[in-house]
Amino acid sequence: MSDIILKADNIVKYFYEPEKFQVLKGISFEVKRGEFLALVGKSGCGKSTLMYVLSTMDTDYEGTLSIKDTVLTKKSQNQLATFRNENIGFVFQFHYLLPEFSALENVMIPALKLKKYSKAEVEERAYKNLEMLGLKDQALKNTNKLSGGQQQRVAIARALINDPAIIMGDEPTGNLDTANTQIVFDIFRELAKERQQTIIAVTHDDDFAKNCDRIIEMKDGQII
Amino acid sequence: MLSSINNRISQVHLTSNVKQTIVAMLGVTFGISMYIFMTGFMTGVNDTQADLAFSALAHVRIYNDGPADNSNIAQKLYPKDLINVRNAKVIKYTDGIKNSTAILATLGKQKDITGFTSQVNINVFFKNAGNKVNGLVSGIDVVSEDKVFGSAKHMIEGNWKELKYRSDGIFVGVELAKTLGLKMDDNVNILTSDGISRNYKVIGIFRTDVYSVDKTKAYIAINAARQLLGANQDYVTDIQIDMVDYNNTQPLIDNIKSIIPYKVESWQMGNQQLVAGSSLRDTIARAVSLTILLVAGFGIYNIMNMTINQKIREIAILKAMGFSGGDVTKIFLTQAIIIGILGGCVGMVLGYIISRLVNNVKFEIAGMHHLPMTYYPHNYLLAFMFGLITTFVAGYLPAHKASKIDPVSILRG
Ligand SMILES: Nc1ncnc2c1ncn2[C@@H]1O[C@H](COP(=O)(O)OP(=O)(O)O)[C@@H](O)[C@H]1O
Ligand SMILES: [Mg+2]
Repeated sequence: MSDIILKADNIVKYFYEPEKFQVLKGISFEVKRGEFLALVGKSGCGKSTLMYVLSTMDTDYEGTLSIKDTVLTKKSQNQLATFRNENIGFVFQFHYLLPEFSALENVMIPALKLKKYSKAEVEERAYKNLEMLGLKDQALKNTNKLSGGQQQRVAIARALINDPAIIMGDEPTGNLDTANTQIVFDIFRELAKERQQTIIAVTHDDDFAKNCDRIIEMKDGQII
Repeated sequence: MLSSINNRISQVHLTSNVKQTIVAMLGVTFGISMYIFMTGFMTGVNDTQADLAFSALAHVRIYNDGPADNSNIAQKLYPKDLINVRNAKVIKYTDGIKNSTAILATLGKQKDITGFTSQVNINVFFKNAGNKVNGLVSGIDVVSEDKVFGSAKHMIEGNWKELKYRSDGIFVGVELAKTLGLKMDDNVNILTSDGISRNYKVIGIFRTDVYSVDKTKAYIAINAARQLLGANQDYVTDIQIDMVDYNNTQPLIDNIKSIIPYKVESWQMGNQQLVAGSSLRDTIARAVSLTILLVAGFGIYNIMNMTINQKIREIAILKAMGFSGGDVTKIFLTQAIIIGILGGCVGMVLGYIISRLVNNVKFEIAGMHHLPMTYYPHNYLLAFMFGLITTFVAGYLPAHKASKIDPVSILRG
């Protein structure tokens, strides 16, 4: 396997509603294995849109996306779902958890889907992740009983559960106070360094960005 | 994989909104219980009707239909010409069945026959002093007649078996007895169309609850009837056959028609109105209950649709985390099927209870005491299966729709 984990080649995307509008204007970049990358830029410049494309959820774009030397453009939705499950951990801008499940179950679900570990092992790993994010005592609570910051951290614990090759975050620390932002940053840092996992995070936090391996800045749908 | 994550999610969905689950379940329950009640009731009515009809009617009857219409033989020889024969006389060559022993032996070898009996039926006048009533006296074999028609249970006075040993004995219908003023041990005179007259002693009275039978019929021993006609031991007028399934008489008829030189007639041929009545009732029952199931199915469809609209964000999250369209279909279809199974089980119990209640309603006509009802297990099974199929279809459509949800368009907000 080469050292390049993600390769975006001339990604172009349009929105057609309310009128035709080019959001991404030919974005090309590469990310190395174990790299901690920050994506910055003004609000509305297309960061979230790019992240959805990179996460394989959005398939309506031009250009080519490869992750782990696999070209993902043009693959079927089901193939992409399986690929995501195993290789990509995603933390959304808004903490999207399943409200009827406990924090622990939310974290466990992607791993139960992957079926790489037994249920007992998955549970143990989920507990470990929650503990790492200071949520061990909240594990059995339903997620709709948690605060916004806590929910965001559960979402991060969930993104990590399958040891994905790439962790993508769209303002993952947007809802967190300084202390928790620092915790998350440290975890990302460690994952990149110790486990060679790749982190791509959109952020508005200058301190957060400054300490990353590399910063990519976007403006009006282009990298500058 | 009962413990799979998909099933766990289905379970949480079902239990987190119990009220909605129960409403969907009750739809199925209602549909299935109505289906069970309707079919139970209708088959009950049909069975009662059949019981009444078959107390006087065999499933298949063999008799001498008289010679073919030969009143214009000349026409057959010259089919092109128009030939008119006035005042044609039909000569009756044979009367009744002459070689009954051979025919009975043939019948003994047929399968699907539960019993058969020979009769010597004679149209007569019953006379008691000045009173004269025309009717039918049926010479019967006591054992096989009871086997085919269950006649013994209709006796209200006297003992069915008696007739076997009393060549001068007669059983009369209850209405006939009334008309003639007959009581047990009274004498009654019988006059045949050939002018033979003979006295019998009333040793039994029966009631079939079919008025026309009770009003005109009497039984004597078959040998007594042969004596009355001066016929030999082989002579019978009718052979009556009972079959395993009275709705399925055609195979037997096709089988024996060619080897028996007499008319072989199923009850359906002679009683089209009964067939029509029973199949119309069946159709109504089926139409009504299927409509109810359809309505129940529509209810499930609506509720599943609602659930999916409520959970659209969660579906998008699941897909974002790597659940495939198939997983999503499974998650929601499982819910529909569980609703179907639970609703179906409760529906079968409720259907049984409703049937019992209706079965207890008093209804005293034609020998009945309560409204008729059947409890055939296959009807319960069928109802359950229909219910399951309905929920499957009603659940599949929304579940399939859910599987097609595009996660980005939902999550992007
Ligand atoms: N679903 C959509 N339909 C049409 N336009 C959209 C949609 N989502 C975002 N946009 C537009 O695309 C541009 C980029 O949006 P986004 O990627 O969310 O920016 P960022 O995350 O950098 O703030 C914005 O101008 C936004 O208004
Ligand atoms: Mg954004």
